[in-house]
Amino acid sequence: MTNFTRRSIIKAAGVAGAGLVLPLSAPNIIRSARAADTVKLGCLFSSSGTMANIEGRLNFVVKMAADEINAAGGVNGKMIDVLTSDPASDWPLYAQIGKQMLQQEGVAALFGCWTSVSRKSVLPVVEQSNGLLFYPLHFEGDENSKNVVYVNSPPASSVLPAVDYLMSDEGVSAKRFFMLGSDYVWPRTINKQLKGYFASKGIAETAWKEEYVPLGFSNFQTLVNQIRAFADEEGGQPVVILTCVGSSIPDFFREFINQGIKATDVPVLGLDVVEADLEGLDTAPLVGHLNCWAYLQAAEGPANEKFLADWKGYVEKNAVPYRADVSIDPMVSAYDSVHLWAMAAAKAGSFDVPEVTKAFDGLSFDCPSGYKIAMTAENNYVSRGVFIGSVNEAQGFDILWQSEDTPKPVPFSPFG
Amino acid sequence: MLRIAAVLIGLIFATAAGAAPLERDPTLRGLCGNAAASGEAADRLLSATPTLSPDDLAFADAAIGGLLSKKLVCPAAPTDPVALKADTGAVDLATGAPLAALPKGKAPVVSLKNRAKFERLAAALALLAAPNAAARAAALEVLAKSAADVPADLFAAAAGREPDPALAARISSVADLASLYGTDIDKRVAAVARLAEGENRRVLTEIEALRADPAYASEPAFAAAVDAAAAKVSGAIAIGNAAATLYNGLSFASILFMASIGLAIIFGLMGVINLAQGEFIMIGAYVTYVVQEGLRALLPGLLDWYLVIAIPFAFLVTALIGIALEASLIRHLYRRPLMSLLATWAVSLFLINLVRVGFGTQNLQMETPFYITGGIAIVGDFIMTWNRLFAIGFAALTLAGTWFLIRRSGIGLDIRAVTQNRDMAGCIGIPTRRVDMLAFGFGSGLAGLAGLALSPIYNVNPQMGTNFIIDSFMVVVLGGVGSIAGTVIAALGIGQINVLIEPIWGAVAAKVIVLALIIAFLQWRPEGFFTVAGRRK
Amino acid sequence: MIRSLLGSSGGTGFSLTLAALAVTAALLVATLAGVGPSGFLVNIIGQLAAFALLALALDLIWGYLGILSLGHGLFFAIGGYVMAMHLLMHSFETTGTVPDFMQFMGWKEFPAYWAGLGVFPYALAVALVLAGVVALVTGWVSFRSRVGGVYFAIITQALVYAAMLLMFRNDTGFGGNNGMTGFSVIFGLRMGTETASAVLALASVVVLALGLVATRALVSGRLGRLMLATRDDEVRLRSLGYDTIVLKTGVWVVSALLAAIAGMLYVPQVGIVNPRILSPELSLEIAVWVAIGGRGHLVGAVIGAVLVNALKFWLSFAAPDVWPFILSALIVLVVLVFPNGLLDLSRGFGALKARMRREGVASLDPRRAGP
Repeated sequence: MTNFTRRSIIKAAGVAGAGLVLPLSAPNIIRSARAADTVKLGCLFSSSGTMANIEGRLNFVVKMAADEINAAGGVNGKMIDVLTSDPASDWPLYAQIGKQMLQQEGVAALFGCWTSVSRKSVLPVVEQSNGLLFYPLHFEGDENSKNVVYVNSPPASSVLPAVDYLMSDEGVSAKRFFMLGSDYVWPRTINKQLKGYFASKGIAETAWKEEYVPLGFSNFQTLVNQIRAFADEEGGQPVVILTCVGSSIPDFFREFINQGIKATDVPVLGLDVVEADLEGLDTAPLVGHLNCWAYLQAAEGPANEKFLADWKGYVEKNAVPYRADVSIDPMVSAYDSVHLWAMAAAKAGSFDVPEVTKAFDGLSFDCPSGYKIAMTAENNYVSRGVFIGSVNEAQGFDILWQSEDTPKPVPFSPFG
Repeated sequence: MLRIAAVLIGLIFATAAGAAPLERDPTLRGLCGNAAASGEAADRLLSATPTLSPDDLAFADAAIGGLLSKKLVCPAAPTDPVALKADTGAVDLATGAPLAALPKGKAPVVSLKNRAKFERLAAALALLAAPNAAARAAALEVLAKSAADVPADLFAAAAGREPDPALAARISSVADLASLYGTDIDKRVAAVARLAEGENRRVLTEIEALRADPAYASEPAFAAAVDAAAAKVSGAIAIGNAAATLYNGLSFASILFMASIGLAIIFGLMGVINLAQGEFIMIGAYVTYVVQEGLRALLPGLLDWYLVIAIPFAFLVTALIGIALEASLIRHLYRRPLMSLLATWAVSLFLINLVRVGFGTQNLQMETPFYITGGIAIVGDFIMTWNRLFAIGFAALTLAGTWFLIRRSGIGLDIRAVTQNRDMAGCIGIPTRRVDMLAFGFGSGLAGLAGLALSPIYNVNPQMGTNFIIDSFMVVVLGGVGSIAGTVIAALGIGQINVLIEPIWGAVAAKVIVLALIIAFLQWRPEGFFTVAGRRK
Repeated sequence: MIRSLLGSSGGTGFSLTLAALAVTAALLVATLAGVGPSGFLVNIIGQLAAFALLALALDLIWGYLGILSLGHGLFFAIGGYVMAMHLLMHSFETTGTVPDFMQFMGWKEFPAYWAGLGVFPYALAVALVLAGVVALVTGWVSFRSRVGGVYFAIITQALVYAAMLLMFRNDTGFGGNNGMTGFSVIFGLRMGTETASAVLALASVVVLALGLVATRALVSGRLGRLMLATRDDEVRLRSLGYDTIVLKTGVWVVSALLAAIAGMLYVPQVGIVNPRILSPELSLEIAVWVAIGGRGHLVGAVIGAVLVNALKFWLSFAAPDVWPFILSALIVLVVLVFPNGLLDLSRGFGALKARMRREGVASLDPRRAGP
């Protein structure tokens, strides 16, 4: 009943062959229309999948920063052209697109990744093609690649101060710790370092508990029951150290509210909680819970005022599908990244990665956080300020404590 | 420094003499100080509360309330008065005089430790001076949690002026708690009994600690009271835990049921695997969101009831999309179920991305109306949360509605007839094409309702549907294709087993084990629990 | 009918595809010599070949036995994970790098079951045996209790989903969400160099060609006729005295082995394996490749996989917002209008239009297209 002729098969093979050849050669055809006097930067932030909700906005921040630099005349006489894509929250796809951007598009630097998993998958690609990746998230540390600029803080200079605060008399004199995290490298490493830290403070092993949930987990009923049971045992003030990420954060808080636990009973230190995570929540019952970052929207100073106004203007002008009045640390870190790169490239007078890397030593930039952030020749880390925030009624954070200065980043934790 | 000394002297004098006026300005300056000074001021104010005049009580209430709601403005210059933001302008808090302009300054950020103190203080003030009895009762509950940190004379003073005799008795009984660590053994025994009224694990911890008390060994009455209290509380906790497990299982089951009932009807009737069912759930949630925003714009007074008002919209919109899908695509694929599987997957991909382009990827802001906020403590540590109860109730209503439609209505009769024997049904004049279309629409509409019920519990974003699809297939297949009773039983079983395993091996292992159990069960009984008599698919 | 179907999977199309593979292989050899396509392109070609092999595996059971598996990612992943373990072990033996996930899990040494995986032939054997045993158990049990059609599809999907959840747990011990990455050495070659990419791609293309020849030999003999007969009327075949369970299980195992080999080729080329490889979406996509290329024609599966993935590589970078719409439109088009995929397209639109006018879209010979 099927009458496939030779001709039909040849045609099919021909169609498929064209399908194979065309796409592979096409990217160059399409993108080569751009002017020659530009320098390309690439973004690796997902605008679909589980991370899209928070990660997608960073694409626009990078573009905004590039616009700003272009308006001031560009870098080394060239205009910046930002390439965006969509790795779709699929870790191997980050590597694939990163490879394409570095090897096919010849981008001068990549800005990207939120989760540590995505960074780990891009890392070999960046190292093999000797590219440069600016990573705007605070992370687990214990890594120091010459091809990655770690714009945000490793745990020793962000998490430990916050835990210290909780343990101090000024905080809540925390004695017992419920560590709840998403099951991947960042929470695991943070908790490993915290346990080392607790042990060094002479805290008994019975005083902490560790639980992991899969990424994207939402049904926290049983776990919040467990937290209540843990809190009611004897041994002193309990706290929750929350290292869940993404959509699990609002889900967790919703259940926390519904079971009637207040910050004054069991405070939550949400290490990855940003203003954007509170967007869909009524935060009145959450007032007092804590987070810690290198930037909070409530930071004072003209640099932040300017950043917030610029972002608002950019969102309104370009109809960006994110809120104009919410600004989070990774946004500011991405913004800093572009400026740091531009300053280094201008200083080096070149876009070559080794030259740019050499120029990092001694760079400093007025970050919207109000601190003067700086880099040294010692490593590719950036020294940032530290904020501890306290949730307020208006879906934001009040600044409860902030560091005097920018502590020197410690890439490798002594408590691992 | 002098001022603080003055306050201290004033306070000592006040407690001694009974009703000296509060030194208002130093108190306010203290509250405006750093964390330590602010905490001290709160402590002093708390110990002074029993003796404050009504006027001072009102002042203290305004100060603490202002501090917690950030309406209190601490001036940058020490000479400016501490002000309270009012609806119109501002007032000098110490004098109550209106101010021409708000002084330069800011609302202090309350540290966690002080927040607990301020909340306790606010409760103490409410217990003494709140005009309505419900507020005083609520305040008492807050204070009872940390009775040891509340000055004993506060309860005496509050009981003295309490007009409601029942509440007055409760206040005295809470006051008894304070004598738990006293010397009078009778009072201690009474306090233990009172303590055991709060049946939770925190209380149990406290009671068990009393076994180390010297009195436990020396006083048989005390020992007996402690043992009885411990037994009572642990018994209540055990019941509470069992109830909580059942409730959690039931709430999970209701979610599973909502997600799968539409699928059960579609799969049972047509043998079509609709992989876009999860996206109908998502669309139902988005419709709910649109209704919420519509109400916000047009009828803000009804905003809290958006979950109820959205019911017909969520159902109809998804049902119409379902009918359109059936008419344009599924209709052509009844004889090729595996192809319908691919086609509906394509539809799901399409819908996800359509919503993504239209609404963006961020979580939607769903209002949390009062009737699904919080919960009620039932027994032991078991808190019945309203949002889960809402989901359970909604699932029960959906079940009743579906059952009625399928079992008692004309179209239901047609659907059953076509499910059992399509050809025969066609022969006796049932328009099978139309029945297919309506049933597909009905199944899709049910998914829309599921989206509505889930929107206050889960994050609403374009991806949300993908989380449900495999779970709901498992429910349908396990229950027996096309059987409502089977779907209910399978949902209940899966929900309960999941919740039982979860605390032992964690959420993921629970899910894996449940999946493995289902797969094994299906090897043994491929038709599931119930089989609908009729043509085999 | 049977004869003509077989004719379509043999003949010119088949030779042409083999010829195309030979040309590609020659290009890759040129790269090795330093004159061929760039490392990036070579890597893409290699990945496409691995996907094509995976599609071939699925077509063997779906196209020829009518059994749709939505869980073929499971076997792909078995191959991928074992290969990743081999690479990490091999890298550790040559460079001393301890894998990331062991560091953050606080493990000091490799678990016992890793022993020997640094030796490739042993790793290959482990992957094949593992995939074979899993396939044997799942296949035998399901086919014996007559689970088929839609039910089998759902069960395999649940199976791959359960495996994904399990692998996402770090406590399971295979790197959790991160999976395994940071492979530095393969067969003594430094990963990521143009030479390594070309060697891997060449290996993939050669294995694909071998797979194509082997599967064709399989389906064109008596066994192939039995397979088609099972697909079209299993009950009759059983009553004629054939043991269809053994037949189905056997082909199912062969298909699983092919998928595992594809996984072993794929992982070193992307440089990472993580549980996303087990996501139900990927397994569904394999079926989509086969459906688009044309089911029941081995060449069709290869063409479909190459075409869809090449499009995906291109569009998910050049026009990420548009890609999902194009994919879903393609699927609907194939399902409604071209039940035999691109091979229908090649028959020309004219004949198709005439058919549609005559019979309506719905009745485009469902029997040939079914189940």
